[in-house]
Amino acid sequence: MKSYSIIGENIPRNDGQAKATGSAVYADDIKLQGMLHGALLRSPLPHARIARIDVRKAAALTGVKCVITGEDTPKIRYGNWRLFPATQDEYPLAVDKVRFIGDEVAAVAAVDKDIAREALELIEVEYEELPAVFDVKASIRKGAPVLHEETPSNISVDRKIQYGDINKGFAEADYVREDTFTVHAQSHAYLEPCSCVAQADLDGRITIWTSTQTPYIVQCLLASTLGLRENDIRVIVPYVGGGFGGKMELRPWEFCSAFMARMTGRPVKFTLTREEELATGRRRHPMILKSKVGFKKDGTLTAKDLKITLDGGAYNAMGPTATFLCGNFGAMLYRYPNYRFMGQHVYTNKPPASAMRGFGAPQSLFAAESQMNMAAEELGVDPIELRIKNAQVTGDTIPDVAVISSCGFIESLKEAAKMSSWKRKRKNMKPGRGVGVGCYSFISGGVFNWFNTQYPFSAAEVRAFDDGTVHLLTMATDIGQGSNTAMKQILAAELGLRMEDIRVTSADTAMTPQADLGSWGSRVTLMNGNAVIDAAGKIKKELFGAVSARKNLNVIYELECKDGVVCPKGRPDRGVPFGEAVAMVQKANRGEPLVARGSYTPRDKGLVTPAFSFGAQVAEVDVDMETGLVKVEKMWTAHDCGTVINHMAVEGQLEGSIHMGLGYALTEQFVMKDGKTLNTTFLDYKMPNAMDMPPGESVCIETYEEEGPLGAKEAGEGLVSPTAPAIADAVFHATGYRCVDLPITPEKILGHLKK
Amino acid sequence: MSRAKFEYYAPGTVEEASRLLLDAGKGAFLLAGGTDLLVKINHEMIHPKAVVSLNAIKELDFIKFERNKGLTIGAGARLADVEIHPDIRRRYPAVAYAASVTANTQIRNMGTVSGNLCNAAPSAENAPTLIAMNAEVALYGKDGERRLPLEEFFKGPGLTALEPGEILTSVFVPLPPAGSGVSYQHISARGKVDISAVCVGAMVSLDKSGCEDVRIALGAVAPVPMRALKAERVLKGKKPAEDLVEKAAEQAMKEARPISDMRASAAYRKTMVRVLTRRALTEALKPARKKIG
Repeated sequence: MKSYSIIGENIPRNDGQAKATGSAVYADDIKLQGMLHGALLRSPLPHARIARIDVRKAAALTGVKCVITGEDTPKIRYGNWRLFPATQDEYPLAVDKVRFIGDEVAAVAAVDKDIAREALELIEVEYEELPAVFDVKASIRKGAPVLHEETPSNISVDRKIQYGDINKGFAEADYVREDTFTVHAQSHAYLEPCSCVAQADLDGRITIWTSTQTPYIVQCLLASTLGLRENDIRVIVPYVGGGFGGKMELRPWEFCSAFMARMTGRPVKFTLTREEELATGRRRHPMILKSKVGFKKDGTLTAKDLKITLDGGAYNAMGPTATFLCGNFGAMLYRYPNYRFMGQHVYTNKPPASAMRGFGAPQSLFAAESQMNMAAEELGVDPIELRIKNAQVTGDTIPDVAVISSCGFIESLKEAAKMSSWKRKRKNMKPGRGVGVGCYSFISGGVFNWFNTQYPFSAAEVRAFDDGTVHLLTMATDIGQGSNTAMKQILAAELGLRMEDIRVTSADTAMTPQADLGSWGSRVTLMNGNAVIDAAGKIKKELFGAVSARKNLNVIYELECKDGVVCPKGRPDRGVPFGEAVAMVQKANRGEPLVARGSYTPRDKGLVTPAFSFGAQVAEVDVDMETGLVKVEKMWTAHDCGTVINHMAVEGQLEGSIHMGLGYALTEQFVMKDGKTLNTTFLDYKMPNAMDMPPGESVCIETYEEEGPLGAKEAGEGLVSPTAPAIADAVFHATGYRCVDLPITPEKILGHLKK
Repeated sequence: MSRAKFEYYAPGTVEEASRLLLDAGKGAFLLAGGTDLLVKINHEMIHPKAVVSLNAIKELDFIKFERNKGLTIGAGARLADVEIHPDIRRRYPAVAYAASVTANTQIRNMGTVSGNLCNAAPSAENAPTLIAMNAEVALYGKDGERRLPLEEFFKGPGLTALEPGEILTSVFVPLPPAGSGVSYQHISARGKVDISAVCVGAMVSLDKSGCEDVRIALGAVAPVPMRALKAERVLKGKKPAEDLVEKAAEQAMKEARPISDMRASAAYRKTMVRVLTRRALTEALKPARKKIG
């Protein structure tokens, strides 16, 4: 194991000061000369044919510069799953049909926001309402309304994973249980609503500043929907106020701002309101999960049969990935010798669900972890003991899918039990008080190339200067998770530099090296970290050669970059300062600057991910037995994210995850009636706030992931999964109420207590 | 956010404010903290023609406690002022508490108790305690000032007894009786900062023979904050034994007329009225018993 002074430290984030003082520039802060303001007309109906649209009155309003409908656009469908064009089921603006309340029908650009919104009211749309369907069971019934003509079954994705022989597995079981779980939608609730500004140059090329997690995906899909070439589009990502999976696709406002910027010759900005975000925005997939598991008498797992139906809403969005991943996560954590998963992604006339932190894992693991707790209860064994007995370990394989190259799961379970005084608390608790456990495993980026990128998955360019500084360029996108800081740390460690010696330019598709698939799936630290190391390695090779020649070093010496010096290992006295070494290389190359590119693409790493993280969490709750209100008293977390790059950043991810898991478990839900979202403000969409956060303790289990940069794995998403099952288990321990349908509401608890 | 365009006035006296309000007619709104008004404007729930600010009127910005009379909270007093005022904390702790659990810090720094009442939400955090404590409101209009018991002030969700041109200038809370205790109980789905799904204020006044007086006010379970009169009668004149408190709580539950909405179901709200009424009465009885000895 290597050790670097800058790795694993509490390094304050690059962007902290700018954000705390308000000087950080987000998309909505950008003001360009002559800029117009856009607004979107959305469907008021869940399912309808568009008979007629008349925009004349809106276009005639003083101050309105442009009004467009689907008919004005090239009508090119898009979607993130480019590898399978049949899954690309969205138009930037509705063509012929609307499929959910909020579907984008027309767009206006005007000299100010008020006029743009006023113009929306002047657009006349005649709809022929169609029967709509709001739940998956009704949607797959024969004769149900069809959302997309190409998909008469309303089942847009069918996925099967199978290994071993489940019939044999269940035959060998002494104890089999089958449970059905339902989980609900949740809002990403990023604090910065979606926003973008597009500008067209004299040749019609587009520059768009947009709040996105995936500049490269936006670049490619914007090009294809506009009928332009990829290089005609430049995507720049300013500061981003969170994404959580909700900003990883091309979205209608990005298309409309670019399209209308070309039409008007003026920059066009769109910024969504919170009401639009909550009423029509992407959300976590609701799912119905039927899970059957078999155990031997001694608690050893023999088989699992998992069927999941995903409520996808009106379009695929990132649903295909969620369908793949919830099946993969169903096979994680424990050794299921025989496993079968069948998943169906179903259309309904609701706002589309899509990627959201955890990407299928929070749903799948709520079911798996709750079922594990239910089985432990019936088998009369401690739920942590039952987990240790079946836990995956380093070297385990999931047939045809992945090899687990590092795994600190058992250590996490033991540590979480120890920290929380699990044994004592599980035995001696007064009524209304309880502890519960939940666990997770997650991916460090995806392997499957659904976007069909023709470039490496991640790339980095390092430019070295004779003043002892370097410039890192990468398309990896810092959306608040801190990737710019982490990448700087990795580069600083590799080149023996300080944080202040490194300039970072990130997420500008015209300036940073091709390409990067974006910030999602917890992929950035591992994938872009490896690309940075690759580039740094090439820089070092040049520096080592030059220093070796200048110092006339014996060929057997190994060189290193350390503390600002390039030197034989352990002999800084015989070294050359970094800047001088750069100057030597530059001289030798007759003035050519020292630049290197690095990249990473996972190869020979199965179908899912190059590396898995693991962890265990214990929740303690206090339930008011009269009101049914649950107060989470404390959370204990032990997790394995490989080498910790930035301790503070990992803690931040953990706290953010607990916050999101807390809302998922207890208070957050969309109140919907006939396809309409009723709670469209934070007053009634009950996301917990800072005062609701329980105190916590955490431990990072040290493992070294060979595939990860300096041994690191993901720490951003997996942690969101264990919280809901841990709280649900604690509520069961406290009250006897076992939640199988999230969220856990006071009314459900009181309903149980009444019995 | 908003395309609202309106005349804005910041008069220096209540008389002038009242006249401006009357002249502007329908479509004129008063601004104190603005924490309800601006949200309504931004969400286009209202389209004001005129906004009359009370913030330049010095005479409204006060909190006054008189030993022989009671507490007067001016219409300009912020929730945060009420929350920390030493006399309110000592003699009207439930009033300070209700102010302290209204919304969040930023809103309490701007919002006022009077504004919270004039907004007339059935769930108004400050109403139940004040009704339980027999509070009165002073209303200033073209014919001068009139006073009204607070419980008669509410006429429906968002509706009050204010006549055109009238302004609520202060809230008066009489001195609580010698052997009394007051409690405010509230719950909501989100623990700390949230609008109440149900809230209850109760004042119990004891003498040697038992409950001399009981006042129970329920919030968010009817179109207006309401008294639970029958529940009060269960206890009035009797020794407040535990089973009788429970009976009163059950009676309050029967009196409540909640609706189901996205914050809670009617059935859950009813159950909570029982729980919170019992808790409010029990809590109010503690200091009352201590005082009576």
